[in-house]
Order: sequence, then structure tokens, then C-alpha cells
Amino acid sequence: MATLERPPTTTQALTRLWSTPAGLVGWLSAVNHRAIGARFMVTALAFFLLAGVQALAIRLQLARPGLSILSPEAYNQNFTMHGVVMMFLFAIPVLEGLGMYIVPLMIGTRDMAFPRLSAFGYWVYLLAGLGLFGAFFLGSAPNSGWFNYVPLSGPGFSPGANIDFYAVLLTFLEISALAAAVELIVTILKQRAPGMAIHRIPLFVWSILVMAFMIVFAMPALIVASVMLELDRAAGTHFYNPAAGGDPLLWQHLFWFFGHPEVYIILLPALGIVSAIVATFTRRPVMGYTAVALSTVAIGFLSFGLWVHHMFATGVPLLGTSFFAAASMMIAIPSGVQVFAWIATIANGRIVLKTPFLYVLGFIFLFVLGGITGVMVAAMPFDLQVHDSYFVVAHFHYVIIGGMVFPLLGGLFYWFPKMTGKLPGERLGRWSFWLQFIGFNLTFFGMHILGFWGMPRRIYTYLPGFGWDFLNLVATIGAFILGLGFVLYLANLAYSLWRGEPAGDDPWGGATLEWATTSPPPQYNFRAIPTVRSRTPLWDEEEPDDADRARDHTRRMVALPDEGREILSTTVVDARPQGRVLLPGPSLWPFWLAAAVGFIFYGMLFDLILVPIGAVLAAAALVAWHWPREEEEAP
Amino acid sequence: MSATTAPPAEALPVEVSGTQAPLWWGMLVFLAVDSTIFAALISSYFYLRVTQAETWPPAGLAPPGLLLPALSGAVLLASAGPVLWADRGLRRGDGRALRLGLPLACALAALFLILKAVEFVARPYLWSTNAYGSLVWTIDGAHAAHVLAALLQAVVVAVLAWRGHFTPRRRVGVETAALFWYFVVAAGLAVYATLYLAPRLI
Repeated sequence: MATLERPPTTTQALTRLWSTPAGLVGWLSAVNHRAIGARFMVTALAFFLLAGVQALAIRLQLARPGLSILSPEAYNQNFTMHGVVMMFLFAIPVLEGLGMYIVPLMIGTRDMAFPRLSAFGYWVYLLAGLGLFGAFFLGSAPNSGWFNYVPLSGPGFSPGANIDFYAVLLTFLEISALAAAVELIVTILKQRAPGMAIHRIPLFVWSILVMAFMIVFAMPALIVASVMLELDRAAGTHFYNPAAGGDPLLWQHLFWFFGHPEVYIILLPALGIVSAIVATFTRRPVMGYTAVALSTVAIGFLSFGLWVHHMFATGVPLLGTSFFAAASMMIAIPSGVQVFAWIATIANGRIVLKTPFLYVLGFIFLFVLGGITGVMVAAMPFDLQVHDSYFVVAHFHYVIIGGMVFPLLGGLFYWFPKMTGKLPGERLGRWSFWLQFIGFNLTFFGMHILGFWGMPRRIYTYLPGFGWDFLNLVATIGAFILGLGFVLYLANLAYSLWRGEPAGDDPWGGATLEWATTSPPPQYNFRAIPTVRSRTPLWDEEEPDDADRARDHTRRMVALPDEGREILSTTVVDARPQGRVLLPGPSLWPFWLAAAVGFIFYGMLFDLILVPIGAVLAAAALVAWHWPREEEEAP
Repeated sequence: MSATTAPPAEALPVEVSGTQAPLWWGMLVFLAVDSTIFAALISSYFYLRVTQAETWPPAGLAPPGLLLPALSGAVLLASAGPVLWADRGLRRGDGRALRLGLPLACALAALFLILKAVEFVARPYLWSTNAYGSLVWTIDGAHAAHVLAALLQAVVVAVLAWRGHFTPRRRVGVETAALFWYFVVAAGLAVYATLYLAPRLI
């Protein structure tokens, strides 16, 4: 190869190579990780708002005893969709989108390992999400709760199409989560900047890596469970039918084998966001890097040994429940390690109290509370008392909103300047934080007490005279304050996108590679591939605010030839350069494949004869997707 | 030279294969997903057997026959040979092994599917007979679908091979197709042990 006489890599050549075509076709064929990541996040936030409205409808119905704002059937669909949408259409996709956007920048590469797979995953997600909301607006949304227990959801007790939407569309949707997981793993293992050996991977990237592995091993159980349920409903099988040798508990085992790791799937990336924000806003690396990274991995492993603690009330043998209770308490140890590491970092740091850091402080407070109630319900005798009561509702909202949504909002605020080039408004940011923090505690703290007072979850109304009226009213008022906080937060970001101050490359003085490129990053992320000598490459030389010398690492960059969409492939452990990989460019085929696979799944809902037709279409789209282009055939 | 001094990019190979190639790792992770699906199916099989059934197979059904599944299993196992031959051959630059090995493997996979179809049709029970029937039909059907997918993939790779697309350097497409093939064969062994051996042995 005559490589030496080539002109040096120019930004124009790179821009031309990495750009996405214009127009509608260009939009449908985009594969760039930042475009796809942003679509995931924006779509997930839209679903978040819709599910938030459903939550407000629930709270309105429960504000006073005996209200009839929602009919019992509408109430069931509302609370089921609220859970399904928050877990499947918001929490996982928004974190995957954030990972897809930030991870390649943080590890110093130019795109995800399989750019077309990113696009495919997004289209699958969008098509499945629209279907679920379509069912909701048609009045036949899933209505058996987000964990959808049989026999209630079986053919005998739910003859309508509601549960078919659940079983079919969730299976379809999980393809998207699995696709994102596969490529996040490969990107993190194989595309880290030279020198970013395994002991220098940023903690956020560690958390995304463990999350992706957990998706790989957890989601298939849900797919198998849902497919069996749909077969029971549509094809007359008997997996969950005890009269013919099946067992309803099989659903619970499979569901919670997915469902408990799922909780940590959405928690771990949030812990990673916290580590990133804590380091930046205390001006020092997180203390105990190795302990934090290993506890992230430990949480990932342990979370697969906990699922039966959701089933203590089902009569599982005592020996089994004792084991699962012990494992459930054990997971408090690695979680505690992380909390202590952040506290130690904060105690020793020079704190910059900006909005992202406020969200982290709020997170630590709420997550510790949710963690404590988690240890409480891990004890089986206690669990039997509060099972299916509002205590459990309070517990998991503390863990999920406190543990995942607060760090996420902090993280979006933190990376917003990088994504848009604009600074988000600090004043409005603080207002939205305090509204959310106060509204959240008003809504959910009283629910602990309601649970002790015997209020069961999932009831569409209650009678006066149980003493539940006041706390329910407070919860409804709190929910609206919380909702106002969310709207204010999103309005702040939207306004800042339009009118925000220019952010510059590194507005917060961060230490990781995403702050080394421009805001927003160019199509190709980095003009040359950076190399790394420590965990905090941008803080290496000196004080972080010395911008000139902090950019010193660019002198050691690897320039790739500007002939194609090339990235550097590095070794898994040491991140030593191994080869150059040519990535595929924009293509419409991911969209068509998603449409064909959608045809299979939507076909199941109408007529099984459509399924083989969709399968043929999907096979054709797959072949077309992978067929080598002409220019590659040249010797 | 310190560990972080990067070599000039021009010195690095462009076509990577094996553990150097992201695609190889992608296939590996995909197979982890697929293995988990089979693990969940097989766990469900034993779960229902242990918790629900007094006899296995349930009363009125004979244990599955051994001869036909053993025959189809042997054909499936044998199909890994030509795939290995093709994969290794390409690595050495032996294009003939690739062009002949893949069609041979496809023929064996097709034979496997025909034998399976014969066995499916001859079953004295349906998926709707009882949970045992549901399990056998679903697990065996899921595996047969995998064989069909591996077969179609190998057909596409074989067409590309006959058009001269692959070279000893550009071979990651063959490697990943072969990985998937080996996985399908291994999953077939696990399914065989579950559905045909376990009812008689344990």
C-alpha cells in the first residue's frame, strides 16, 4: 500500500467521510452513534412524559376516597402502562441512548462497533413503543400489571387483545435492547483508545459494560416467558396451565429472573453517572477506583441470585427463600462500597455546587433511604407483612426515581453542553431540582406509612374511614409538584438549546476524553485517535483549568488515513492497537429490516399467516444489508 | 517504546479477523444471548417436570423413540466437519475447501431438517395435548428454526465464496458464520440430551 505520499488527514475529508446524507432518506439511513443515541434519549423522554401523565391520572383517581375519574378498567390500563412504559420504553432506552452517545466519546473512538445495528435497534424500539401506545389509545392496552402474572394474564381470565400486545410487543422491543447491549459490549471491549487498559476505563463506561452484560443474560428469560405466554394464549399450549401439567409459578420464575436484574440494569448506569459527576464537581478522581469498579461487577453478578425475593409470598420452600433473602441483603455491601467511595471523595474534594452535583446529593439521600427499605423487605417475615402494599410502592419508587431518575437528570444536564454546545440554565436547573426533590418526597414518603396502615397496591379506589385519605391527598399534591419539576427541567433544556450560552469544549473541567473534543463533537468525534496514560487524561499534566496544557495529550494521537470510515481496534485488556476497521456507512436497510421484523410481530396479533411472509421479508432485508458493496469487491 | 506510544496507523492491518475483529466478538455476545434462550427453555422443561409431573413423560405417552433423533443428531454433528474444513481451509488460502465445504454442510443441514420433519409429523401428541407436548414441540421447533437460519446464512456465504469475495485476510464473515454453525450443533446436542436421553436416564 502506498500510504506515505497521502496528504495528511484533513477535517474536510473526515467531515465528508462521516457525514449523513441530507433529506428524509438521509434521516432514515443515519447510523452515527450520536444521532442514534440522541434519538433514543429524545424518544425515551417523550415516553417518560406520557407515562408521567398516566401517573398523574392514577394520583388524581386516588386523591380522595371513592372518586370515579378513571373507570376500574381504565385504571388497570393506566397503572400497567405506567410501569411497562417507565421500565421498558423509558428507563432502558434512555440509558442505552446515553451510553451510545457518551461511551464512544469517552473511550476515544469514532462510532459504535456496529453502526447499522444501532439504527436497527432504534427503529425496532420506535415501532414497538408506538404499538403499545396505539393499543393504549384504542383502549386495549395491557392491564395485568407490569409483571403480568398468569393465570390472570392467561387465556382463561384475559380473553381480549390487551395481553397479546404485552407479550408480542415486549418480545419485539427486547430485540432493540439486546442489539444495543451487544454493540455496547463490543465497542467497549475492542475500541478503547490506545493506553486505556482495563484499569483506566472510566467508571461510567464500566457501569455501561456491566449493564450490557446483564441485558445479555437477563432479557432472554423475558423473551422466553413472553413467547410461552403468547403460545398459551394463541396456539393452545399449556406452559402455565396447571390442569395440563403446566405451572403458573414458571412465569414468575422466568419473569423475575429477568425482572430483578432489570432493576440493577437501570441502576448501574446511574451509579456510573454519579461517579462521573462526583469526580468532575469535586475536582478529584473518585476514591477507591478499583473497589468501585469491582463492586459494579459484583452487583451485576449478585443481582442474578435475588429473583425469588419477589416471590416470598408464593410458598416457595423455606430453604430457598432463606438463600435468596441472604443474597438480597448481600447486595447492600457493594452498593454501600460505592456510596462510601462517593462520600469520601466529596469529603476530600473542592466542591463546585452546580445543578448536576445537586442531583447527585439528592440521589445519595434518596438512594440510601430506598436501600434501607430494600434491606427491610429482603427479610422474609417483614416482607410477608408489607407484600403488595404501598410500602413496596414507596420502596421501589425511592430506588428507581431516587436511584435512577435523579442521576439521569443530573447526567443529562452534565452532558447537555457536550451534546448541544449550549450551557443549560443554572437557575432553572436548581428550581427544577428542588421542585422534584420536595415533590418526590411528598408523593412517596407517606406511602411507606400507607403500606403499614394496610393500603394494598393496585386498587382503583378506597373507602373513607381507613385513615388513608390525608396521606393520599398529600401524595397527589406532591405528584403534581414533581411533574411540574420535570416539565420545568425539560423546558429549561429546550430553552437552552435555543438560547443557551455557548458552552465551549469543557465547561465543567471534566477529566475524561469526551471533553477533549469540540461541543457538539464533529461527525468523526476526534480528528485523530487520542492516547491515554491515566484514568484522568485531561487532568494529567497539571491543574484542570490550564486548558492549553491539558490538551497536551493530543500530541500523542494516532492519525488514521482518511480513506474510509476507519476506527482503531485495540486489545481487550491492554488496549494496544491491533488493526484498523472499516465501518459501514449510512444505509436504509436497518430501517427496512426493522419494518420486516415488525411485520412478523404485528402479524402475530392479526393473523399467523403473516408471520412467514414477514420472515421471508426479514431474511431478504438481512441479505441486502450484508451484501458487499461494489467498491469493496475491488482487489 | 512505552506502552502508550502508538505505532503509525499505516502499519496496522485493515482487514482483521478472529479475536482482532469486532464482528467476531459481536457474534460471541450474540451467541451468549442465544445460549441464554436455550438455557431458559431447558430450565423450563426440567422445572415443569420436577414440580408438576408424577411420571415423565406424562401418563399415556411413551418415552420418545431413540433411533430417528439419534440419526438426525448424527447428521447434524457431522455437518460441523465440512464447516470446520471450509473455515480452516480459507485460513490456509485453500479456496476449494471453502467452496465445497459450505454446500456440503448445507446439504447435511437440509437432510437434518427433513429427518426432523418426519419425526415431527410422526409424534403421537401435539403442542396442545399437555405441557409436555408444549415443551417438546417448542424446544425442538426453536432448534430446528436455528438450523434453518444457519443453513440460509451458509447459503449466502457460499454464494459470496463462489463469487470470490473471501480471501485469507478477508475471512471474518466465514469465521462468524462458522461460529454460529458450531453453536447450533452444540445446542442440538443439548436439546437431544434433554428431550431424548433425560426421560430415559433420569
